[in-house]
Amino acid sequence: MKGKSAASLAIGGGLERWAERRLRYLMLAPAVLILLALTIFPSLYMFYAAVHRISPNPDLPWQFVGAANFARLFSDGQFQAALRNTAIFTVVAVSVEFLLGLGLALLLDKYIRRMTFLKTVLMIPMMLPPIAVAITWKLIYEPQFGVLNEIMYRLGLPPQAWAGDVDLAMFSIIVADVWQWTPFIFLLMLAGLASLPVEPYEAAELDGASSWRQFWDLTIPFLKPVIAIALLLRVMDALRLFDLVFILTGGGPADRTKVLSLYIYQVAYRFADPGYAAAISLFVLFVTIVLSTWFMKRMRLVE
Amino acid sequence: MRFKTRSRSRETLLRLAAYGTILIALVLTLFPVYWIAANSFKFDIDIFAVPPEWVPRNPTLKHYEQAFIERPFLRYALNSFLVAVGTTVISVTFGTMAGYALARFTYPWQWRKHVSFWILSTRMMPPIVSIIPLYLFFNYFDLLNTKAALIIAYTAFNLPFATWMMKSYFQDLPVELEEAAIVDGDTRWGAFLHVALPLARPGLAATAIFCLIISWNEFLLALIITLTEQSQTLPIGIAGRVTQYTTYWGEISAAGFMACVPIVIFAFIVQKHLVRGLSLGALKG
Repeated sequence: MKGKSAASLAIGGGLERWAERRLRYLMLAPAVLILLALTIFPSLYMFYAAVHRISPNPDLPWQFVGAANFARLFSDGQFQAALRNTAIFTVVAVSVEFLLGLGLALLLDKYIRRMTFLKTVLMIPMMLPPIAVAITWKLIYEPQFGVLNEIMYRLGLPPQAWAGDVDLAMFSIIVADVWQWTPFIFLLMLAGLASLPVEPYEAAELDGASSWRQFWDLTIPFLKPVIAIALLLRVMDALRLFDLVFILTGGGPADRTKVLSLYIYQVAYRFADPGYAAAISLFVLFVTIVLSTWFMKRMRLVE
Repeated sequence: MRFKTRSRSRETLLRLAAYGTILIALVLTLFPVYWIAANSFKFDIDIFAVPPEWVPRNPTLKHYEQAFIERPFLRYALNSFLVAVGTTVISVTFGTMAGYALARFTYPWQWRKHVSFWILSTRMMPPIVSIIPLYLFFNYFDLLNTKAALIIAYTAFNLPFATWMMKSYFQDLPVELEEAAIVDGDTRWGAFLHVALPLARPGLAATAIFCLIISWNEFLLALIITLTEQSQTLPIGIAGRVTQYTTYWGEISAAGFMACVPIVIFAFIVQKHLVRGLSLGALKG
């Protein structure tokens, strides 16, 4: 469909005009069809699986059990632990990342405006494979020869088991996640700050507004759409945390770091119960969509 | 942010505090990366040294030899590369077309709004949720342990992202240039191809970079879909060296460091597009 070639005047012309008239649908069609196949089909299939009891033996037929798999959610202690752990992780990690990322972006924007190189260095963690990040932190947290306990020792503090300690395991995971993802918030905030208009600040200066007032009354409202996008993307990703937990703690000790993704993985593959895993997955999907939609409406991210 | 000017000494003090904070952030950011690199050049015995060796005293390439000659890490890296490039080409091609359509055309029955929102919402589906049906689907079509299966699965979450980014780029471009091209005799498709697409090149670059990084790093789906060396990607190869009984720290460090290097080099080459890309694209929704 090159447009003006001479050959298109004959038979091709009719076809081409047809394509041209329907261009709005033809350009949208591949993406919509691929996404329909890759999301609607799995969702329906998942719903179908969730109301069945599926034997690990593929030769046995699926047995219809109605809402039984969903009912199990209410009495499953491990599921409730996973739900609580995911909630704790999401709230704490995303809040810390947001505060650190915004703070750093404000500092750099004020004091080192032109140093693109420095900014890129600060963004390295978010580009690394999460699996490499998980293993690096495993090495740092290692109780016997890990470098963190060496630093604790030099500071005269007692060594800890970190990822292996009941009370510190979730903290250890949060620290690693904050290390990897604060740069993401930082990058978005820097981009937002770079596009702030100058005039309102000049007016505020003339009115004698303090820098604190300028921050609350000008910077934060201007940044609001960027902040909303950053939080939305981070929360969506935090809800599906897997790699760090899989490598650092495997969900332990005592289920303290068992998060929803890891639990679904265990139910489906270790306990070989795909029907129940599908029910939990649907629950997670439901919560994610309700939370994101509510948030996007609230922040007016969709018209 | 432009703060009110204060007394000179107070300004200097603030500036020093700011530089101090940034310095600490730099050290905290870089230390783990340095640490994995340092360990990759140490003999096992030195990795376990107490107190730790801050700088490898006795550097060796033994772990690189193990990872890349004795073990199939090159194969894993090649698989990762092919899967990442395949996913990126598909996602960016169709995402750009759909993004353009959603930015420029009008549809009956508020389609534009509904389709945009629906495409965005497919990005919310956590991968673990689609894994069971995808697994059964790939099993049924005999696609388990293939790179094609990984490309299909990754397209599911990169395509909505690409569509969404490109839509906001095209919305930022003035429509008049395309109208002028059509007045000059170009077709609608031609105007897209010859006028809009070249103008959106920075956005295209940023979108492709993010798709590449996401697919190069993905772990969970690859863990479940691939079990053979012929199809496994680098993250799976690395995780495979953490076994029930022992963890091959040296080898993992060497492979982990090598997995980071291309991404970091790439990031420095394209840093301009990265910041500009996000500041234009993702921010506006």
